[in-house]
Amino acid sequence: MKSSSLQRNLWKQLRRFCQILGLVLFLVLFRLTDYGGSDTIPYAVNILFRVDPLVGACVTLAKMSFLYVLWPSLVLVVLTLVLGRFFCGWICPMGTLIDIASRGFLPYQKFNSRPWANLRFLKYGLLVLVLISSLFSLQLLGFVDPFALLVRGMAFGIDPLFNFFITGAFDKIYLSGPAWLSDLTEPVYGMLKSFVLPHKQSFFYLSSFSFLLVTGILALEIFGKRFWCRNLCPLGALLGLISKLSILKRTPVKACKGCRLCEIKCPMNAFETQTTSTPEPGTLETGTLETDTGDTRGRLMVEECTLCMDCIAYCPRGIAGFGFGLPGKPNPVDISRRQLLTAGVVGICLPGLSRTNALSKMPDNDLIRPPGAMAEQDFLATCVRCGECMKVCITNGLQPLGFEKGLEAMFTPKLVPRLGYCEFNCTLCAQVCPTQAIALLSTEKKKAFVMGKAWFDKNRCLPYAENKSCIVCEEHCPVHDKAIQFDVVMVAGAEGELYPLKQPRIIAERCIGCGICEHVCPVPGEAAIRVRGRGNRKNFSSGSGYP
Amino acid sequence: MKTHLRRTPMDRSVDMSADMPVDIQMDRRKFLKQVSLWSAGTLLIPPVFDTTPEVLAGSALTPDILVTKGKDYPAMTRKIVDAAGGMDKFVSPGDRVVIKPNIGWDRNVTQGANTHPAIVSTLAVLALEAGAAKVMVFDRTCNEERRCYQNSGIKPALEEMKDRRVSCTYVDDRKFVPITIKQGKSLKEWSFYKDALEADCYINVPVAKHHSSSGLSMGLKNAMGVIGGWRGKIHYNLSAKIADLNLVIRPDLTLVDATRVITRNGPSGGSLDDVKQLDTIIAGVDPIAVDAYTTTLFGLHPEDIGSTVEGFKRGLGQIDLDHCHIRMV
Repeated sequence: MKSSSLQRNLWKQLRRFCQILGLVLFLVLFRLTDYGGSDTIPYAVNILFRVDPLVGACVTLAKMSFLYVLWPSLVLVVLTLVLGRFFCGWICPMGTLIDIASRGFLPYQKFNSRPWANLRFLKYGLLVLVLISSLFSLQLLGFVDPFALLVRGMAFGIDPLFNFFITGAFDKIYLSGPAWLSDLTEPVYGMLKSFVLPHKQSFFYLSSFSFLLVTGILALEIFGKRFWCRNLCPLGALLGLISKLSILKRTPVKACKGCRLCEIKCPMNAFETQTTSTPEPGTLETGTLETDTGDTRGRLMVEECTLCMDCIAYCPRGIAGFGFGLPGKPNPVDISRRQLLTAGVVGICLPGLSRTNALSKMPDNDLIRPPGAMAEQDFLATCVRCGECMKVCITNGLQPLGFEKGLEAMFTPKLVPRLGYCEFNCTLCAQVCPTQAIALLSTEKKKAFVMGKAWFDKNRCLPYAENKSCIVCEEHCPVHDKAIQFDVVMVAGAEGELYPLKQPRIIAERCIGCGICEHVCPVPGEAAIRVRGRGNRKNFSSGSGYP
Repeated sequence: MKTHLRRTPMDRSVDMSADMPVDIQMDRRKFLKQVSLWSAGTLLIPPVFDTTPEVLAGSALTPDILVTKGKDYPAMTRKIVDAAGGMDKFVSPGDRVVIKPNIGWDRNVTQGANTHPAIVSTLAVLALEAGAAKVMVFDRTCNEERRCYQNSGIKPALEEMKDRRVSCTYVDDRKFVPITIKQGKSLKEWSFYKDALEADCYINVPVAKHHSSSGLSMGLKNAMGVIGGWRGKIHYNLSAKIADLNLVIRPDLTLVDATRVITRNGPSGGSLDDVKQLDTIIAGVDPIAVDAYTTTLFGLHPEDIGSTVEGFKRGLGQIDLDHCHIRMV
């Protein structure tokens, strides 16, 4: 079908418009992932994770049941069955950011000609790996899911950095600049604070690591356009596999002989080329058999095409186009049997290794998980490390785990009371959790949910160690009756004179482990009252490890 | 607070408000100049708050304590301010007025941990009627500030007024100024909120409630909402330190909200079982006398509350209710 040049560019412009819209929506939802004056967040701020079929697949495999809140992922699956891998090209905010970043790397890119241009098998390998390890309850999604990487990179790295620089500049002017200048800048600052900046500066562990992961993905563009999407993204791989059955197709199905412009310029390198179909020496017997022989050169691999529609725009004869038709004879996916097998074996070994890690033999787990969190093993399998709970935490107390509890717990949330406590009436973390790893409890139930228990370090606590009055912890304890009570005792002062002193103690049954006591404890450094997580809640003994 | 040095508690008994002592005026100006120089980064040592003995003669006076009871809190607020001489007495046209409620906790109105929003918004209206150019309402909260401002009902009530002169903003960390308290006995230096120091008129509107460390939290204790730093660190010898803070923060008028009070498990409270309906508002110019009277509503003696005693010792006001004119209005 021939089309005018205007029409041809129209599709590309439309795609770009959709991409920008998707990115703006993502950023707006990101900013709205915060307390907004009401106990509930009225927007589906976690929608990105709920439309993600990879999240759906991994969580379903890990739990062996489908979570109904993930129904939007089925919508994307159906849409992909119709439209192909349009999500990657038209909507995915990570893809859009990659496209934007790609412009900075243009001079270095040599389209599709480098030997590393065809590592497509990697993404299928990663997909198989995360799916299989999910089946064995090891959730590795957080390391590879594009949205988990993106949201965490934004929440832990980019957003705090952005706020730090902007407020830093305005504060500098306000504090040490001339009055006439700050009179000019303060209203601007006020506007930014109302509409663009976060409410307060946030602080996160793994800030630079999370930042580097995202910027690293963008920097991969130096090796070629959409390097992440075509070679690494397991979500792209999953959508690609589904899109093999899609009915929206590009015509012609092969690059024309003698021109091949679409093949050369395709940002996804979606056309079979000599390089792809020539297997490495020694792997010939396991190579993709059909493509090795037949004249498949220049044929479009449907699963690699993101429908960016660029080829419509630059086809010199104006014959490239997209139309509906029945799925054709499927071409084999660009992964060898050996590569597939390797991914599968790794996918089985990693869960096994995490079980044999010494950490899993430790009798208890002192992490303070968010209120409503599932029992530890279920939590680890269900949490997709999206970072939403930590982003939304109103006191900035929820922090990502590093390596301290093993690879399988990395990026999962823990409460660090010294940084921020769990606000008594707040249920935001559960509201934004896309997989119900943090169950959404009623406010009354949340207030009774036990995250941990506080205990006194009497060697540090002022009324015990120094005979000084304090009980700041008791003042702040939010439960009723207070979980911290005090006894009035007579103690001797420096001169031997007796005076009354209030000494606090814990009523353990009442304590919910919110950590406000630890947060406000005036003892410098480590608090004199500390909260310890609730443990694994194992009521049975496995017969191994501790008695 | 230019007025608190101009209008000492003495004004009420001895009429000398017309010609105020010049040196007190000068001290106040000198101090504010130091504050602004420090804020501009040109003064490197913290501003020194020095109080002349005339200002600390409150313990020898016989101040008025105004008490009103009822269910209509806005009307009671109006009535009691009128009885205190009317808002015009405290606010001059063009003044920047600070109304300082207690918004410390993420609790709702009925739970009684924060000042009643109706009283705060009525005071704001009265200040505007008296010609205030700006009415600032703020508190440094204990729980998360947005939740406190919202759920206390104070921010919604003030926003409902839709008046640009009224601001209910969160505390800005950049505005804390370290102050040397020259007459401070237990606390010699601490940081204070600039807006509170520079206010032309400062109206203190605490809620009366049980407080485990200090006995009761009333007017003097409410000054802890305009200071910076790690407040937990001043709980050692808290009463004396609260009194020292009140050497610097000298409200022109104190209105204690005792409409509903937390009787135990304070200051955060939480359960309505601990909340007692008193439907009372107490007001006065003498912060010690007002706190002393409020203490009796809890069945305690004024001397039972350390901060009141320490404040009296520093000459901030009268603790002996026999030396006060208690007027029901």
